[in-house]
Amino acid sequence: MNRVLSFFGAPVVLFARTVRAGAREGVSWRECAVQLHELGGRSVWLVVSGMAFFGAVLVTIANSQARRFVGNVAVLGPAYFELLIRELGPVVSALLTASRAGAGHAAELSTMSVNEQVEALEMSAGDPYADLVAPRMVAGLLGVPLLSTLGTVAATLSAALVASLVFGVDGRAFMDPRYVDGWDLLAAGMKAVACGLYIPLAAAVAGLRARGGAEAVGQATTEGVVAASLGCLLIDFGVSLAFQLLRL
Amino acid sequence: MSPPPRVASLGLKTVRGAGSLGLEAVRGTGALALVAARTVLGLPRLERRELVRALVQFGYDSLPLALATAALAGVIVVLQSGLYIQRFGARAFLGWAAGYGVLWEFGPLLLGLIMSARIGARNAAELATMQVGGQIEGLRGIGLDPFAILVAPRVVAMELSMLAMSTFTFLVAILFESVAALFTLGLPLRIFFGTFAQMLSPLDILGGVVKTGAFGLAISLVSTSVGLSARGGAQAVGRAAASAVVQGCAAIFVIDFLLTLALAGWMA
Amino acid sequence: MDLRAEALTVKHGARTVLADVRCAVPPGTQALLLGRSGSGKTTLLKSLAGLVAPFGGQVLWDGQDVARLSPSARRERQASFGMVFQTDALFDSMTVRQNVLLPLVRRRVPQAEAEARADEVLLAVGLRDAADTMPERLSGGMKKRAGLARALAARPSVLLADDPFAGLDPGTARQVARVLLEVSRGSTLIVAAPEAPLDVPLPRWLYLRGGRLVYDGPPAPELEREQDEVLP
Repeated sequence: MNRVLSFFGAPVVLFARTVRAGAREGVSWRECAVQLHELGGRSVWLVVSGMAFFGAVLVTIANSQARRFVGNVAVLGPAYFELLIRELGPVVSALLTASRAGAGHAAELSTMSVNEQVEALEMSAGDPYADLVAPRMVAGLLGVPLLSTLGTVAATLSAALVASLVFGVDGRAFMDPRYVDGWDLLAAGMKAVACGLYIPLAAAVAGLRARGGAEAVGQATTEGVVAASLGCLLIDFGVSLAFQLLRL
Repeated sequence: MSPPPRVASLGLKTVRGAGSLGLEAVRGTGALALVAARTVLGLPRLERRELVRALVQFGYDSLPLALATAALAGVIVVLQSGLYIQRFGARAFLGWAAGYGVLWEFGPLLLGLIMSARIGARNAAELATMQVGGQIEGLRGIGLDPFAILVAPRVVAMELSMLAMSTFTFLVAILFESVAALFTLGLPLRIFFGTFAQMLSPLDILGGVVKTGAFGLAISLVSTSVGLSARGGAQAVGRAAASAVVQGCAAIFVIDFLLTLALAGWMA
Repeated sequence: MDLRAEALTVKHGARTVLADVRCAVPPGTQALLLGRSGSGKTTLLKSLAGLVAPFGGQVLWDGQDVARLSPSARRERQASFGMVFQTDALFDSMTVRQNVLLPLVRRRVPQAEAEARADEVLLAVGLRDAADTMPERLSGGMKKRAGLARALAARPSVLLADDPFAGLDPGTARQVARVLLEVSRGSTLIVAAPEAPLDVPLPRWLYLRGGRLVYDGPPAPELEREQDEVLP
């Protein structure tokens, strides 16, 4: 119970502190740009190639399903496109970003904590929340939606390509926006933004708490990446459920 | 800086990046093969106590996380399949479609990603801590094989844990699916499990187990080889844990693709 | 600045690191903080600098409770502290000079003056030639001195040094000690160390054992021998 509480509570507390510290101290936009560059540069290949493979897998699955269900996989195309845009694109991209950025941030911040650099920063008139957490949060907030978009595009293209080349159906069915409406885009956007906010927070919670030596760094990195990944799944679940209950 | 040299340097950077990526890939594959081979050689002299410890740590301690992942995967798949099942007015097929989705793709994939984060990062961090602290050198120094003592038990434990967890995860996920279908789409449990049992064969379960097992092997080999090649201080431990997760995820997506193609072709 | 700890208790999780520590450090005090590893030396220094939140009791700066200060007020007053950390705690993405400049720039010291001060302290610790290298290229002693330079740059009235001689060879340790004594003349200096360093003969000893302050007074070498006797 305690663990559940701290799993949800700690990021919220950190978020509040970061926003307050950021408002008080000001956030360096330069540092935000550096973090955004880091996030994008490090994660973009993982997200794009991972999503491309994922798109291909999705078509293969759809094909096996279609053979029992409707006959021609192309019929499922538009529905799968909606699924990809609304659910799978943002979530799987966010999961990939979580593993890259979540682990990276947790490792960086825990190394800094263990080497007393966080305290040295405080003694240098810096604020760990405004100087370390806020730029990563801003970068996540902007970067994850961008990465999700790129990932969704990669998955769509590879799905269409595999459908055309391997299964010999018109691949354009997998990018037919017949069923996609504004609510789908809204759901996708909400998921990406929420994950983008949550990943750096979860990583920072684990990273800034680290005390000890090399062992503590390893533990904090593990904790950070697990929390970030699980958080993305929970966010997806929450948003999907909310939209389902509202029947949008 | 004026634009042209920047473009040139960007091009150069890309080439250099691609080159180092290629080199890295070759080195990584070599390290993987080495770890795999030495693990197999170390199997007969496997340290039992370490195996039990690793089983508890990787398997038993991961159960809550696996449970949460399974529950989430189940509900998410229902919410997703519900979306297009309703479009085609084929609600009765939900049991089959959702079961298929969990067994073939989302169960193994999500479990693999989460376990890559938990087990992979932790394993790499532990081995990197030992490597950085000189403990692995120490083992060699007193004539013990680190692969038999540290690596083989971990690889075996991770594989066993993943296989056990896969079946467990699928069961939990399907349970949650049926409940979610009842609550969100109003589909009676009888109908859900009716089509589920009718249209899915034991082979479908096998597909998921094979995938999860392959992911487990990939995670364990990648994370041990990353952990063992760590050099430096606390920073190196963090880097090792982070790159174990990333390489594990990349491996999972590639393996997922290859296995889906192979299994789908074989089942057809 | 007048420092004072009142019934200070600090906990890490369930472990009590400092228990009911009371001590007064008036301006100009020069003291050694001694105790075995794990006795709470680092935590006491960090508490005095306002880096650790107390579980019970208070830390007072000129009579003001640190826990009640607003973050910005606390940061402002922290400018009077210089802290040399046990690990080097240098920012590894910056050169030595940038490390030294950071606290000055963050406190809005004009650029020209900040540069001049950085050069001055780097000269004082003998690192002028290594000013533009990255910390990872420095030797252990040089990193220590770089950390010292960063602590000194803001001209602190209180200098806290957490085990500044750890891992240094005797020659380098002597050099660091000389710099420490030279620059802290007239201001408060507290040096934490596991055993009394011969090169730093300070007139007051604070002795911690298991998180409790067991001695506060003039140098008493018998304390260190006593420690050996209680060892099981």
